[in-house]
Formats: sequence, C-alpha cells, structure tokens
Amino acid sequence: MRINFWYLSSFIISLFVIIPILTVFSSFFEQTTNYFDILKETFLFEYTFNSLILLISVLILTFLIGTSTAYLVSFYDFPLSNFFKWALILSFAVPPYIYAYSLTAFFENYGTAYTILKNLFGEANYNQHIPKFDGMLGSILSISVSLFGYVYILTRASFLYQSQSLIDLGKNLGFTNFQSFYKIILPAARPAIVAGLSLVAMETLAEFGAVDFFSINTLTTGIYNSWIAFDDLAFANQLSFFLLLFIFALFILENLSRKKAKYHFNSRGGFKQKAKLKLTDKKSFLAFLYCFFIFFISFLFPLSQMLYWTIKFPENLFDLNALDLFLNTLYLVIISSFILITFSLISNYGNRVSKNKVLNILSTLSISGYAIPGVILAVAFITFIAWMDESMIKALGLTSIKKVFIGSILGLVIVYFVRFYSLAFNGIKSGYEKINIYVDESAYLLGYSKRKTFLNIHVPILRNSLLFVGILVALEIIRELPIALILRPFNFETFATTAYISASEDLLEAAAVPSLFLILIAALFIMITSKYILRDTSE
Amino acid sequence: MSKNFFEINNVTFAIGGMNKVTDANIHIKNEGEIICILGPSGIGKTTILRTIAGLEKINKGQIILKDKIISSDKTHLEPEKRNIALSFQENSLFPHYTVDKNIHLGLKKNSIKDKSIDSNEIIKILNISNILNKYPHQISAGEAQRASLARSLISQPDLLLLDEPLSNVDQSFKEDIQVALKQILKKSKISTIVVTHDSYEAFYLGDKCALILNGEVKQFDDPYNVYHFPNSVEVVNFLNRGILLPAKVTGGNSLENDDLGIIKGKFIKHYPNGSNVQLLLQPEDLEHDDDSNLKLEVVDRKFRGTNFIYTLRTPSNRLIPVAVHTHHWEQHEINEKFGIKRPIELEHIVCF
Repeated sequence: MRINFWYLSSFIISLFVIIPILTVFSSFFEQTTNYFDILKETFLFEYTFNSLILLISVLILTFLIGTSTAYLVSFYDFPLSNFFKWALILSFAVPPYIYAYSLTAFFENYGTAYTILKNLFGEANYNQHIPKFDGMLGSILSISVSLFGYVYILTRASFLYQSQSLIDLGKNLGFTNFQSFYKIILPAARPAIVAGLSLVAMETLAEFGAVDFFSINTLTTGIYNSWIAFDDLAFANQLSFFLLLFIFALFILENLSRKKAKYHFNSRGGFKQKAKLKLTDKKSFLAFLYCFFIFFISFLFPLSQMLYWTIKFPENLFDLNALDLFLNTLYLVIISSFILITFSLISNYGNRVSKNKVLNILSTLSISGYAIPGVILAVAFITFIAWMDESMIKALGLTSIKKVFIGSILGLVIVYFVRFYSLAFNGIKSGYEKINIYVDESAYLLGYSKRKTFLNIHVPILRNSLLFVGILVALEIIRELPIALILRPFNFETFATTAYISASEDLLEAAAVPSLFLILIAALFIMITSKYILRDTSE
Repeated sequence: MSKNFFEINNVTFAIGGMNKVTDANIHIKNEGEIICILGPSGIGKTTILRTIAGLEKINKGQIILKDKIISSDKTHLEPEKRNIALSFQENSLFPHYTVDKNIHLGLKKNSIKDKSIDSNEIIKILNISNILNKYPHQISAGEAQRASLARSLISQPDLLLLDEPLSNVDQSFKEDIQVALKQILKKSKISTIVVTHDSYEAFYLGDKCALILNGEVKQFDDPYNVYHFPNSVEVVNFLNRGILLPAKVTGGNSLENDDLGIIKGKFIKHYPNGSNVQLLLQPEDLEHDDDSNLKLEVVDRKFRGTNFIYTLRTPSNRLIPVAVHTHHWEQHEINEKFGIKRPIELEHIVCF
C-alpha cells in the first residue's frame, strides 16, 4: 500500500471525526463527583425510563403516520395527492422544540384555542375543556409529528419500487386492498420502514429542545444538566456512554436494514410502474382529509400559530434583529457547508482510489457521528479540548488555548463538522456510487493525473450531489439547537437559540418570530431539495 | 534491447490476490500488428488488458513496451504515463460531456503525433456523427461502445487495448465495423490487443491469436494455425469446430477408423505405425457424395447461410459434423442416410 496524498487526507479526516466518540468511551472510566452517586440512586432510573417511554411512543406514532401517508400517496389517486407527496415532508421544517412551543401556545390556558372559542362563542370558561398537550404527551406529539417524515420518505421510496406483479398477485389471491397492504406491501417494505424508524429512534434519543421545554428528564437532558448545572463533565460523558450504547444498537440495526433495502431499490429488470388506483367519492374524500389533517397538524398548524403571534405581537418582530440572526445563521451555514463538502469530497475520493481496508473501517466508524446526539458531541468536544489544553500547558508550558475552541465560531464549526460529516459523506458517496469506476480509469488512460481526474471529471459530475448535500447541511444547521446553545460565542445567536432562550424564559410570544423565520427558511430549502428527496427513479 | 515492439514475459496476471493467468508469454513483433486474445468468459482476458494498461500490478515477470519496462515486480509505470489506451467493454464515457467532447479529449492530449488519424474519418466510419451532440445517457450501449472506441483511436496511443470492442454492436453492423476497424488500425499503424470470445472476430482481426485456457496461454500463433493446427485437445474443445475420433495409424500418410475406414493425408506430426490416436475431424474435412456407399444417419441439420452443417451418427454411435454448400440440390432430412465421399483424403492430419 502506497501512502499518497489522498489516502493520508482521508485517514486524517476520518480520524478527526472519530475523536469525540473515543472521548466519550474513554471518559466512562473517569472519576466523577458525588452527583453521580446521588443521581444513580434517584434520577438515573427516571432518565432511562422516560427515554424509553418517549422512544417507544414516538416509534409507534411515526410508524402509523409515516406508513399510512406513504401508502395513500403511493398507491392512490385522490384530490391533491401529488401535492401531498411533497407537502408532507415540509414537516421537517418544524423542529420538535418549535412544535412544542406551538402546542403550548395553542392549548394553554387563555391560549390561541381559547381566543378562537371566545371569538366564536363569546366569553366562557373554556380552559377546563381544552385538552392540554404538555409533559410527556406534548413531547411525544412534538417529536412524532416532526420526525414521521423519515418513515414517510423511506417507506414511500420502497413502495414505489414494489413490483406491480406483487400487487397483482395479491389481487389474484383474492385479497382486499387492506389485506394486500398488510400481507404483501408492508412486509416487502420492511427494511425501509426499519431504516426510517431507526433514524427516528436516534433523533428521538438525541432530542433536547422539546423535552427540555416540557421539563421531561431524559438521558439527553440529563447530560446537558449535569454539565450546565453541576459542571460535571465526566458524569455527562458517562451518561452519554449509556445513551450511546442504545444508539449504537440502533445504528447497527439501521445499517443492516439499509443493506437489505438496497436490494429493494436496485431492482431493475421487471420493474413496472404502478398505475395509481383512482379513488372515488367517499374514499377519495377520506384519503384527502387524512393527508390534509397530517399536513395541517405537522406544518400548517405550527406555521400559522407562529404567524399569528408574530402578527399579534408585532413589537417582537421589531425588537428582534432578524437580519443579524439571518446573517449569523448564513455565516455558519456557508462556512460549515463549505468545509463539510470539501473534506467529504476529499475523503470519498481517497477511499475510492485507495481501496484500503483500514481506511474503509475508519470511514464507517466516522460516519456514525450522525447517530450521536449534538449534546454529547458538544460535551465530548469540550472534554477533549480541556484535556488537550491541560496536557499542553503541563508538557509545554503554553498558555491556555481553550478560548480558541470553546465559545468560538471555530469550535462550533468543528462540532458541526463531526455531527453532520456522515450526512455530507454519505450524500457525496451516493453520488460517487453512480460514477462508474471505468470513468476514472478512462481518465487515467487519457493521461489525467489523480488530482486532475478529481477536479476536472468528478467534481463537475457530482455538482448536483454537492448542491443537494449543501442544502441538507444548511437545513440541519438552521434547525440545530443544543450544539449552538453550548458552544456559540458570547452574543452570537441564531434563530434556533433565540427561540429557545425566549421560550425558556416563558416568553413564548417572543419565541414566535425567530421560530417563524426558521420554519420559512427551512421550508424553502426543503422545497428546493424535494425533487432529490423524493426522486422517483432508482438513480 | 528487446527485439519486439511489445512483450509480456512470464507474467502472472492476478486480480484481487487471485491468479488468473500464469506465466504468460505474448508479444507484438512489429509496430502496427494486431493480437487477439481469445478465451472463455471469466478466464482473465480483461485482467490481462487492465494489467497492460497499468490498472493492475504484477508480482512476477515483466511487460515491456518500446524497450521500456512498464510493469514488473519492482516497476509500475502509472496508467497516465504509459500512452496506452483501453476501450472498456462497459460504458466509460464521461457523463458530463457530450459524445463529441468525450471523443476529442483523446485528441487534446496527443496533439502532435505522426500517426495518420483523422478524427472525422473515424467518426464517419464508426457511424456516430448523428450522436455527437448527445450526452452518454442519451445514447444506446452500442453507440457508447463505438464512441469509446473512437476516443481510444483518436488518442493515438502506442498500444491500443480493446475489450470486446463490438460486443454491444448490432450483428448487422458488426462485420462492416470489423472491416473498417482493421483498416484504420493498419493504416495508422496502431499496435492493438483485442480481447474477444468470438473466434471468428479474432481470426479476422488478429495477425496472431493467443488462446487462454485453464489459466494459461495455450496457443499463441497466427489464426490459420490456431484453427487448423490446434496444439491441444483443450484448444479443439474451445474452438468447437470439429470432433476427435479414435483411429489407428496405418502408415506414413494414412490411418484407419472403424466407422470411416482408411483416411489419407499429411501428418503434421509423426506417429509410429500402429499407434492409437485421436483424429481431429473438422466440418470441412469430409465431402458429401450421394453415390457413395459409406452412408451415415442424419441426426441434425443446421442452416449456416453459406452452408449446412449436418450432424451424422456413425455405426459406433459417434456424432460427426459435415459442411455442405447450401446450394447442394438435395437436402437431407433427419433420419435419412447421408453419403460420404470415398476415399477420404484430408489436407493435413491433426492427431493427439
């Protein structure tokens, strides 16, 4: 094996991404304060129990919503079915914490629901009749409605590639539509559904904003609190270790199902585009109503709630320096996307030309970053920097460099890099997989060097993938909360952190404006990328 | 200094750590010669081309081009520095360029060359002028293969490697392209190695053919010799153009078979009198004669355009192929008797 520039770059990039993961594992054996003993006796059970309840409930809800909507838009033709096909993914524009604000704002005492009823039917004591969606129920709803899109997208893609003959077979056997659904269609889409649910599970375990808002103690909030409230990094890392064990099990499950799902998507021969069944009258109306209901609660409801408050309390709009927040967000997005795309490209190409087993294993490990909650990554990063800082001061007598990394844009971008590296790496990898290796070899044989092949052949071919990855990264960074919250520089706010701070100070009205901006920008990005996310061919 | 333009000396070709072809020796004596590598699928023909191109390395032997070692256990010249072009069997066009741009990328690299290659002529001969402005995903597999071939030709390499160059080309068009391709290669004096599993293609294009069987180069000779004087039973079986019949040598120019009687001809190798041998009998060796008293039963008849190939059963239950011109006035049906002209005289006798 010859060590060349590409191999070395790939190696270093992958190693860099793995460091925080290793930090979490190594911290497990460190001494902690008494807080751990107190907590072990009291809260650890509660944290784990709550995390599990949340996880199971969210999985059930996202499964039901995701598969049912995917089934309707994939197999049936009803009013606006083509619109719902992409409109349903707009739910991604609303992060769980903003959904949580909307739920509270609408259903709280004297909230929006109360105002609507008062305007319609006059003054009365409606508060006791309005259901309250807070605590665990609120968290479950917020997370489910925000995340069902993962199950929806993957299941829909799987439904699309199901062979028509399989469905015809069901008819031949005399199955009703419902029997065909659960006996044939659903089992055939199982790998995709499992993959979608695994993503939901990882996001749920990583969720911070919504559960924190509803004061539900989970492992993730426990990590944040042990660091913020008790300044106990080691304990935060130990909690992270527990959470990571959960997540790695899910990660492996997801990877295994994804491999199986591949068979599904790659079927070429014999694929026959399914003709959608046209629904009539009542059934058509019900299908429309159901999809509209999901679209409404997942996107229109939080959007209108935030819009309503922005209009109702216009002073918040003027108080908020939206341009600054926008520029800050844009700044982060541009720097992070550029770095992520550049390094992911180099790493992908390094893997492609080196065909080296060690590098392959390292890359696989490095892309597990997306499974690690932002809170853990941020804490692990601080741990690592603290350790490095201390070691350098001891060994070389240098002055502290902590400030360069913690509470700085640099630190923020580094952790974003680790967190979203897998997103960029996999996005570019799937683009690379479509480039036949003979294209590279033809280039070499035409006299192109590796660098020239990379710059003149690969980068232009991958330009659409790069754009797609850039937008996905942007979408994630706009919505991201805990990393920004922990690592942002003093006086540097994004829409997400501003919304969070206002909400945590019980100023939900003030949280509405940044939330609204966030939803609108995210929705815009989703609309731009929807044709990639919902691609109808096997490309 | 090597006396050949190109040499493969005792090279073991491997891919993924698995040896495919061991101790191979193949050479191109003079610039402009065409070598065809023939063998069944999966035997390692493509591996040989990839290795020559520098896309795979070798651990044993050496490959020499124009007196320079380009591959050995110690040397490996990078593909981009070899000036060897490889036209892949699969589509290898750059997807973001039009066919025209793809083809002319080859030209840019070698703008000063003495070989008389006219890109317009190649485009015309390969019949791709109508797809020049299209992108690779808009053209058929056959068109992509021809475009890729054009790109390789225009790059005017020292050595051109063609991997099943016409496998995706329509049959109706194939022969015309074979003729044109050979003309271009000869005219421009581009030394070429063609990999194919089609023996007719190899016999037409190649100045020499290398037969790869069971992991080794079984025969490296000119096409006439490969066909008429196969050097082993494996080569006979691979070419599938005849059968082996048991016979006994009865003299310096004759042998005897239980079913066909005495067969005369010139032995290409000496066998002592009385030796038991396997005689190679090819479809064109026996002649049909309706009046002959040597009659065999027809079990099958294949129409091959210019001739019929009859499969005849001998009394000892062996099947013999016999070619008869299509214009022969009387066709024989299955189960009918079919006369073989006697005495049987062969141009040359090949035995094993």
